[in-house]
Amino acid sequence: MISSISFLTARSASLLAVLLLLCGCGAALENRQDMAAGEKTGLPLVAVFPVQNLCGNPAPLAEIRETLISLLQQQGFAVLDNKTLETFMTAHRVRNVGGIDGPTAQAMKKETGAEATLITSLELYVEQYPPKISLTCRLVTSADPPLIRWIDNVGMTGDESPGLLGLGLISQADALRDKALQTLMASLQQEMRGEQIMPATARKFRPKLTFRSPTLEQEKRKYKIAVLPFFNHSTRKNAGEILVLHFIKELSNLPNFQVVEPGVVFQELLRFRIIMDDGLSMPNAAAIFSDLDVDLILSGKILDYQDAQGPWGSPYVDFSTVMFFNNSREMVWASKSYNTGSDGVFFFDVGRVSTANDVASQMARSVGEMMVN
Amino acid sequence: MRLKKITLVIILAFLTACAAPLATYHDTEMDFGSVQTVAVMPFANLTGHTRVEDRVRDVFMNMLLATASIYVIPPGEVARGISRVQVVDSTSPSAEEIQKLGVALSADAVITGVVREYGEVRSGTAASNVISIGLQMMEVQTGRVIWSGSTTKGGINLKDRLLGGGGQPMNDITEEAVLDLIHQLFNS
Repeated sequence: MISSISFLTARSASLLAVLLLLCGCGAALENRQDMAAGEKTGLPLVAVFPVQNLCGNPAPLAEIRETLISLLQQQGFAVLDNKTLETFMTAHRVRNVGGIDGPTAQAMKKETGAEATLITSLELYVEQYPPKISLTCRLVTSADPPLIRWIDNVGMTGDESPGLLGLGLISQADALRDKALQTLMASLQQEMRGEQIMPATARKFRPKLTFRSPTLEQEKRKYKIAVLPFFNHSTRKNAGEILVLHFIKELSNLPNFQVVEPGVVFQELLRFRIIMDDGLSMPNAAAIFSDLDVDLILSGKILDYQDAQGPWGSPYVDFSTVMFFNNSREMVWASKSYNTGSDGVFFFDVGRVSTANDVASQMARSVGEMMVN
Repeated sequence: MRLKKITLVIILAFLTACAAPLATYHDTEMDFGSVQTVAVMPFANLTGHTRVEDRVRDVFMNMLLATASIYVIPPGEVARGISRVQVVDSTSPSAEEIQKLGVALSADAVITGVVREYGEVRSGTAASNVISIGLQMMEVQTGRVIWSGSTTKGGINLKDRLLGGGGQPMNDITEEAVLDLIHQLFNS
């Protein structure tokens, strides 16, 4: 009797131990399955970072992330499971979800197997009618230094395309959110297939004032550029960081630039304890030039970054840029841009731009094009 | 006799038109060609609006650079210079502070400015935007003023009174005012 009880206890204990082991390996197995799925499609295993909230008000960040994950999986990407990502982020004390630095990216690859990280920043989220959403998403490689593989943004309002009898109006924030995320993921798919098309820039978004040093004109090559946070003198929270993302996106899409991942720049600013008082000083610029091994540093000031309030009004963006060149150690570019979404609109809202995201994006593209052309 | 009077009136009218604006001062002994690098100090704001001094300074620095005649020291470098020299009031530095700034920033001249008016003005039912700016340039060897200019643009005109409309946008008249000041600076 005694022996049968002890036999049963030993069996139960073994079963429990096996079950515990299986639970422990659950996440890893799930991860391995995802990796295997990724290997089948030839697409990398992706870690999806929690969404960075730059909009200054509460937003359904978890829902946005979940939708992104499901859209990525639909495209055939393998996605790193939440538990492994959380464990990694806790172990490496990753607090900045708006970027990734070199050592963290390398450790990500080594410890989780993720070959890329999807970083998402939410710029605007309004649920009241008309709903509004603006997002920027980028895929960064898990290497040291990390490289931006793809970046795109989207800005939408529920009333931007009313269509016939208002059939195109979107009154639900969820529906608009899904549409915006699908647009972004479609862009990623296009990039993966090598079909990314650069939209043309309207003349009206060109900077109003520009200075371009002859030093820059003599050099026709691919520049490695670091974009530093813009000084935010506007009333919009996080406008400085938002504008950096616009410039990163537009410069990355131009063939003349190789843009440094903002997480790397952020880490360097922290490492050198660079506190910029009214702009970048030359000693600080020299430190960044030598450490990041970049040719150009772009920075600036943002004076206005406003989205339309409610269904009326027009977005308005006003900023200036300065750029320093490593070779001459002087300012080689300066510009001043300001635009509203209704610039050049005369009849029936034809050509109207409905979000500050879209206005800023086109303005940044114009600045980038004029820098090199 | 009558023809003579009319001619005299016309000549006087032309002479008045040709007079140099009283708002501008140029040091006649100064060789402005030697000024290659300038530091634009933060402007003083005498208006009731916030941050307008930054807006005007931003436009002025960009327009001055765009002339490609003068190199304008980046604002971050100017801020570092102000901090190093320990300028008490960066909007109106003393002659000694200007001399020290010249050494710290390797500048040939220092420009200070004041924004006197910025924003909407009303008169009866008419409304329009107005800007009024005054600038000074000091050379760094002695710290003395070598150029001074001021301008006012916008405001309510007859058309605004008769037809309304609110006048020109603020950015446009800021650029107009700054351009006027740059013309005053270069047309010595």
